[in-house]
Amino acid sequence: MALLSALLVMTLVGGYGLGALGALLLGGRPAGRFITALGGGVGALAALVLGVSALAAAETMPFDWNAAYADNFLSLTFTVDRLGGVFLVVIGLVGLAVTIYGYSYTAAYTGRYSLRLLGVLINVLPLSLALQVMADNAFTFLLMWEIMSLSAYWLVLTESDQPGTVRSGVWYIAMTHLGFAALTAMFLLLAGNDLNASFAAIRAHAAVETALMRNGIFWLALVGFGSKAGIIPLHVWLPMAHPVAPSHVSALMSGVVIKMGIYGLVRVLFDLMGGGPTWWGGVVLGVGAVSALMGVLYALMEHDLKRLLAYHSVENIGIILIGIGAGLIFQSYGMFTLAALGIVGGLYHTINHASFKGLLFLAAGSVLHAAHTRNMEEMGGLIKRMPWTAAFFLIGAAAISALPPLNGFVSEWLVFQALLGGFSLPVPEAAAAMPLAVGALALTSGLAAACFVKAFGIAFLAIPRSHEAEHAHEATLSMRVGMGVLAVACIGLGLAPFVVVPWLARSVAGMAGLPTTSPTFTAGALIQTPLNFGSMSTTWLAVLLLALLGLAPLLMRWLRVEWRLRVGDTWGCGRIGQTPRMEYTATAFAEPLRRVFAELYRPTKELTIDFHPESKYFVQSIEYKSEITPVFERGLYEPLLGMVRALAFQVRRLQAGSLHLYLVYVVIVLLVLLIATRWF
Amino acid sequence: MNTALFAQLVTLSSSVVLLFGITLLWRRSLTAYIDAFRWQSLVLSVLFVLIGYYSNDPELYLVAVFFFALKVIVLPIYLRRLQARVKVVNEIEPYINIATSLILAGLLVLLAYAVTRPLVAVSTLPTRGGLPLAMGLIFVGLLVVVTRKKALTQIVGFLVMENGIALLAALGTYGVPFIIELGVFLDVLMGFLVMQVFVYHIYGTFESIDVNQLSELKH
Repeated sequence: MALLSALLVMTLVGGYGLGALGALLLGGRPAGRFITALGGGVGALAALVLGVSALAAAETMPFDWNAAYADNFLSLTFTVDRLGGVFLVVIGLVGLAVTIYGYSYTAAYTGRYSLRLLGVLINVLPLSLALQVMADNAFTFLLMWEIMSLSAYWLVLTESDQPGTVRSGVWYIAMTHLGFAALTAMFLLLAGNDLNASFAAIRAHAAVETALMRNGIFWLALVGFGSKAGIIPLHVWLPMAHPVAPSHVSALMSGVVIKMGIYGLVRVLFDLMGGGPTWWGGVVLGVGAVSALMGVLYALMEHDLKRLLAYHSVENIGIILIGIGAGLIFQSYGMFTLAALGIVGGLYHTINHASFKGLLFLAAGSVLHAAHTRNMEEMGGLIKRMPWTAAFFLIGAAAISALPPLNGFVSEWLVFQALLGGFSLPVPEAAAAMPLAVGALALTSGLAAACFVKAFGIAFLAIPRSHEAEHAHEATLSMRVGMGVLAVACIGLGLAPFVVVPWLARSVAGMAGLPTTSPTFTAGALIQTPLNFGSMSTTWLAVLLLALLGLAPLLMRWLRVEWRLRVGDTWGCGRIGQTPRMEYTATAFAEPLRRVFAELYRPTKELTIDFHPESKYFVQSIEYKSEITPVFERGLYEPLLGMVRALAFQVRRLQAGSLHLYLVYVVIVLLVLLIATRWF
Repeated sequence: MNTALFAQLVTLSSSVVLLFGITLLWRRSLTAYIDAFRWQSLVLSVLFVLIGYYSNDPELYLVAVFFFALKVIVLPIYLRRLQARVKVVNEIEPYINIATSLILAGLLVLLAYAVTRPLVAVSTLPTRGGLPLAMGLIFVGLLVVVTRKKALTQIVGFLVMENGIALLAALGTYGVPFIIELGVFLDVLMGFLVMQVFVYHIYGTFESIDVNQLSELKH
């Protein structure tokens, strides 16, 4: 087993290394793109197999590797455990799809952008991710974290000549470094100032820390990992950076990179700290609920397809955190089976979100590739021109809307079950908070479904709204295969929870007082929660749905419906000619919700009507403008940036432009230093 | 030469060097500035010879010769030429008036005594009496650079400060190794040439070498 995992790790590193080297040497030539994709594919497959074998293995530590440099000043330590295995699966799965997709997607970049840089980074990023979840000490973790952040930054900047890209990059790098600062401080506290301490040593050290210190570590972890995961209000970079990055990079970032925040939270709060007081769980749960709800509400108002998906990432991170927060609460009361249920739900949703959000971003990339716009109001009718992409997008949309029997349904069901278990909490306040979270989650799911009705309906159905959409073309073979990988994952993860759930349960077994044997999930085709108050089987649901679909023709035959095929306009309403201007728009679709939640959105409205000079009963043109500034940008970041700017303006007074003043500064510093060394 | 005499001579010549530095603060004409710098450098090269003779180090004679050539002959010639080229009228308008400058210079020399006290206290060199004076000269040079408006006078201030550093090195270590001294000379020459170019450019742009006008570049 150890030999196998060592081989797999070597294949992983070698594959990504080959891909990066190929890109470096061959650049933008087709051969370069091929080697880039080949190396990345081999690396991703190795990560996938390594993750699965870590989860399936009987013994816990299949791989261990240490390297110390410069007399233990720096030491790199790697190990593969089951929690890391879960995330290796995520990295491998999305990485594989992205690599295959990227092979032909990047062809359009030839000559316009540096394919050499893109090819190197698209291999370095997943490599750093894989090594990060294998890291076994704080230094290794932070090093890989920083490599991940920086390579993602350069990837976001790929299309740096497009308006807004550089600005988005600045937001991303600022937020990610805020997080990095918090994480460095956190690990210093956690490891007792020794960044080379192994995680095992940290685990022992964290248990004996004072409550104050532990609370400090909790807050730092929440800010540090939260800024990467995109919790509200640290999410601002997500809707900026994801749309401007190349689509396969967006898939990787939204599917995998932000999940590292989740990995970090589970690793630190559960594994290293061994859980904490109830209010930790309450904070995580609350942040999750707010992120889920706000994320989906802002997604509803977006008409930029990729920004919409980015806001849904905020929403899904929220759902994951609801599961993990519930787990923390139950753990603090010693209710370990329910705790395991919450965390397993969160982790399951992590894998699921990676697969369907990756799929959706890749499909959005195909649309962008074909229609050259991200604005949904200029799409339409794409289902006839790109049926494969439409089908894949539909699968992703159904999965993210948590429709059975797809994967989103299973994990949200698990999270719901964990929350519904809240009635057995001994403290009434906590027990009362759980139904609120259930309500937030239910509302979120409903709004998400509405949002994807909008996204799919406006973008793919009806007749094309622009010249570009009318001449759109289907995605290339490699792009379709890349999307297919994730679509199969969406279906497979939905149909086989009885395989996945016990593995996930085993991955958190033994942490934070959880029993070392996996909690009792009765996992046949029917999946049952530990306390036996819920049971569900997506497999049977799928069979039932298929049976219903099969029954439909029979029913129609029984009713003697006419079978003749007719071709005609949909919803013609008796009109003779139809134009795209008669179509329902995304704005119109979202309008009712905009009114309901007007208090939150506070849209600005601007209506300009040009009347005919002769009579105001004849209108020449009507212009309607409405904008929404997200509440956190309005209420938190704008004042903050204003303050920084004002402060900088004050500091600028030092720089008066007078040479003599500058010389005086130099002399004063010299004199002060001399006096200081003399008397202090 | 006995040590007591040598020590007295060193302190005397260091004082003279400092005095020439302070001269800059009350003289108004640029010609007087250049003369003061030239005399100061002359005394300094004599001091180099003196130390070389006492410590029996022939290298210091060579340093003295280079020092003399550079600072007594070459640089003053260039300064005169510069003065003629930019047609500086002799009047100099300092930021701080003469009386205040002199008081400040006095305070700075006192400060120099204060900050070099630990050094003087542990030193057994016969030249230790001159160390605070050398430090004082550096301060005075800085004061000239800070309070004078014309770029040319600032250059002279800089050169005076550089003399202070040379004096400190000579007194504190009996002369740094010859090769380093050569490097320092080259640095001074290069620095001077660069400043000269800048003076020409400032003059070309503003028709004046009043560096105060540079603040217009800010916006």
